[in-house]
Amino acid sequence: MNDALPANRPPRTRRVVKIVLAVGLLLSVAGLALRDDRDPRHQVPADRAEVVFWHFWGGKDRAVVDEIVDRFNASQQEFFVRPIAMPGSNLDLKFFLSVAGEDPPDVINQDDPIVADWAHREALVPLDELATRDEIAELADWLFPAARTIGSYDGRLYALCNGLDVRALYYNADVLAEFDLEPPRTIDELTAAALRIAPPDAKQPHERYGYLPDPRRLWSWGIVFGGSFYDPAMGRITADSQPIVGALSWMASFSHAYGADQVARFRKGDQALPGAAFPLLEGRYAMIMDGQWRAAEITAVQQAARRRGQSPPNYGVVPLPAPPGGKQDAGWVNGNFFVVPRGARNTRGAWAFMKFWSGFGGHEAEAARACAAGGWIPASAQVVAHPKFQAYLAANPMFATFVELAGSPNQVPTPGVVGAQFLQDEVTRAAEDAMYKLVPPEEALRQITRRVQIRMEAARE
Amino acid sequence: MNRKRRTTWWAQAILAVAAALFATPLVWMLLTSFKPAEQIAADPHRVLPVEWRAANYVEAVTTMPYFRYLRNSLLLCAGSVVGTLWSCSLAAYAFTRLRWPMRNQVFGVMVATMLLPWHVTMIPRFLLLRELGLYNTLGALIVPTFFGEAFSIFLLRQFFLTIPEEISEAARLDGCSEWRIFWRIMLPLARPALATVALFQFIASWNDFNGPLLYLNDPSRFPLAYGLEQFVSSYSSQTNLLMASAVLFTLPMVLLFFFAQRTFIRGIATTGMKG
Amino acid sequence: MSAIRMRAAWTALLFLLPWLAGFFALVVFPFGASLYWSFQQYDMLTPPRYVGTANYARLAEELVTGERFGQAAWNTAYYALLSVPLSIVLGVSLAVMLSWNVRGRAVYRTIFFLPSVVPAVASSILWLWLLDPQAGLVNYVLSLVGLPGPGWFNSTAEAAWLPAWFAGNGGFGSKDGLVLMSLWGVGNFMIIYLAALGDIPPQLYEAAELDGAGPVRRFRHITLPMLSPVIFFNLVMGLIQAVQAFTQIYIVSEGQGAPAGSTLVLSLYIFLSAFKYLDMGYASAIAWLVFVVIVAVTVALFRTSHRWVFYQGAGR
Repeated sequence: MNDALPANRPPRTRRVVKIVLAVGLLLSVAGLALRDDRDPRHQVPADRAEVVFWHFWGGKDRAVVDEIVDRFNASQQEFFVRPIAMPGSNLDLKFFLSVAGEDPPDVINQDDPIVADWAHREALVPLDELATRDEIAELADWLFPAARTIGSYDGRLYALCNGLDVRALYYNADVLAEFDLEPPRTIDELTAAALRIAPPDAKQPHERYGYLPDPRRLWSWGIVFGGSFYDPAMGRITADSQPIVGALSWMASFSHAYGADQVARFRKGDQALPGAAFPLLEGRYAMIMDGQWRAAEITAVQQAARRRGQSPPNYGVVPLPAPPGGKQDAGWVNGNFFVVPRGARNTRGAWAFMKFWSGFGGHEAEAARACAAGGWIPASAQVVAHPKFQAYLAANPMFATFVELAGSPNQVPTPGVVGAQFLQDEVTRAAEDAMYKLVPPEEALRQITRRVQIRMEAARE
Repeated sequence: MNRKRRTTWWAQAILAVAAALFATPLVWMLLTSFKPAEQIAADPHRVLPVEWRAANYVEAVTTMPYFRYLRNSLLLCAGSVVGTLWSCSLAAYAFTRLRWPMRNQVFGVMVATMLLPWHVTMIPRFLLLRELGLYNTLGALIVPTFFGEAFSIFLLRQFFLTIPEEISEAARLDGCSEWRIFWRIMLPLARPALATVALFQFIASWNDFNGPLLYLNDPSRFPLAYGLEQFVSSYSSQTNLLMASAVLFTLPMVLLFFFAQRTFIRGIATTGMKG
Repeated sequence: MSAIRMRAAWTALLFLLPWLAGFFALVVFPFGASLYWSFQQYDMLTPPRYVGTANYARLAEELVTGERFGQAAWNTAYYALLSVPLSIVLGVSLAVMLSWNVRGRAVYRTIFFLPSVVPAVASSILWLWLLDPQAGLVNYVLSLVGLPGPGWFNSTAEAAWLPAWFAGNGGFGSKDGLVLMSLWGVGNFMIIYLAALGDIPPQLYEAAELDGAGPVRRFRHITLPMLSPVIFFNLVMGLIQAVQAFTQIYIVSEGQGAPAGSTLVLSLYIFLSAFKYLDMGYASAIAWLVFVVIVAVTVALFRTSHRWVFYQGAGR
């Protein structure tokens, strides 16, 4: 070892040079570091009360968020919202730590099913402590049914939705036409179309499928098949009820037809698309279930084709087709919502900002503008009805389908039970087991139902 | 070691290939950090940048509050280094130069704490530091270093053992207090070991990710390691900026290595040898 | 005890005070507290509630069914049992070759060591890019040689799980990417081996050469035995570190163990159970189980070490 190191100390001059260099470097770095380079957005004016606001928006959405915040700050003289982007998938984790650490933000925008868990543990300020009694009464009618459900726990509102995410069935009209097919209106039509586009007995593995269910979508199909994942009257998880088993059996029938391995491998290919590209646009499917945010991607592709002087590819979207006895205009919905943690310092400012963004209390125009800018679905019919948003819908017909669905009573979120996140993950796991490992659907669902029930009861005590 | 054998050509060849494999990722990081975004999108595998774009670096340090993160990192490192040196040298002195009952047993217990997985103590530690009002401050990461840490104590003790007992014994006979012996004699003699411990602590604090993930929630207090991760999750598609920021984050460590190579290698070798 | 010795003990106590305080507050108390909580249902916001051994029973059940905890245990074992032996082999090989009289030793040593000073956050960013299935350099180089590009961090494949290869769906997945990353950072260990090699008395080799021992036998009968205490030390420390690895795994897995839980290792699972699923009791139970396993493995290694670790005489 030792022979690898210089045996003698470096000459004195070299050492001095080294030290001078090091000190110089350190000083210049320290000089740069000590410069105050706070974002002006974070400089709270002395005469305003700060509202610390956490959100998870990144990418181009962040600009929209910053714009709303700027507008709110300009709209009044009392509060100043300081937006803090907490990107990554663990915003809920940071939020919980901040509540446990007793230094939470004033308001937070979230989209995971955490309302019940946190409300149950008294980590959230219920809206009736922030709003007047009249406001609460008005809010109940103002919100879409799904938005109301998402924000409630135990009959009390804890979260104010500012947007909904809705799913529907996109289709490639050119491919459907090629096979002489119409957009499906029932499950049987969907199955028949899928099997005609990609016959299961083909020798080669398919490069394009008509439709392949994604295990995560058991949440949607379960509801479309007329199922419910939770029975509030009995306080029981009902993920193994008949309609949901039916939905999963139907989903698993694709794995039986094509082979579970092949389905799994094709799915993996979707996830490996660069930049989370939309598999429908990549030509991998003729039909696929996805959310409203994909509509803008399709429009962009069509516009690009037009600009190149080509005829644009044809795409369309329909509500999820239902089986006999199932539900129309149904599906799984989730929302973006505001919550105010216990221990927040500026709850009044938080409430003012929440209303401003969501559009409640006469701010419909602001919300309409924000939703149009971000391509978001408002949480209230009042915002949808606003001329600014109607103009946006007229220009984006595919998006309009989703907005119509948003008001449907058959759009159901993850049940607001303690352990909802666990329930959500476990249902998806059961679907994965049934589709990729060919576990009988009843059995897969019975197992997770039992497990979630035990966990829920343990946590609810 | 100094065998006068000709090395076989294959060893030379294997080493050359291995060195190429080890060096490629860093070279690639450096090259990518200078590429324009369009080049990466169109032709990600082209080796050299079509145009050397230093503006990536400017963009990287302006898109995130780089210098604020840097300041926090330096504060964190400086505070932890002071804390570690102070607490660990005291303990190491007691473990080598002072005589007290059960000394070796206690030392064994201390060494055993190195085996503890950090997540066993994670939750109670969090609650404790919260009770001290340190949540969401850099203090949550600095204060614990003032209470010693097994690895550094161990390293310092190994070095203290090599300093002849007679020196402190003579001072003791001259009526020096233990504190004076420690402060005036041991510490100056132990300078190389202190440098090693300081260096390791600096690196540990610079790299610390779990700490900020658990304890900090205000971006104006994030150190670089955590700020960078936040940057990654929001700008995951801008590879050139990611690489530029990764280079900026790595560079101080590389410089440190070149400036303090001997300290580095002595420290690592000591930990391995005397274990 | 004489007055002088009493005094000395008191002085020692003063010197030890910072560490002792830290030891009790930051090690002993948390240790006891997490053991206590492992028998509770606890979420940090509401008071804990005694649930007996329910948390441990759940762990046992999940271990049997291979769900969550079982999956995390498997992932951890896979990562540790692959990365530690491979890094020992790689580290020793590099060090031995460097100890020969090769040209450009200092340069090689620097090149091999440098990756280990790259911070985990930076190296994760870098490797996410290098191992990108489409745009990454690694798959590009593989495609030049005509090999199919694995999915790396987008894939749940496990290269060391040989049955998968026979079934035709073998490949390199997320954990293999992590193992590759850990091998790249082997420089630390290499330096330790280099130092140990430097301590081997040259006379041993000279004597062996006089006896006509070739390079393989010299390596087998001198180098390896002389290195074995250091290899043993690195084996123990490496296993402990591998079980605790967190930063790089958190970053490449989006903090979730993605894709599909294939990088959900125990340290990440404990973290998520505690702070995402608000299940401190359960998380504490896992942490304790991990601790017990680490201790058991360490003790077992020490017990069996005399069979293969060669300790030089008391002279050292």
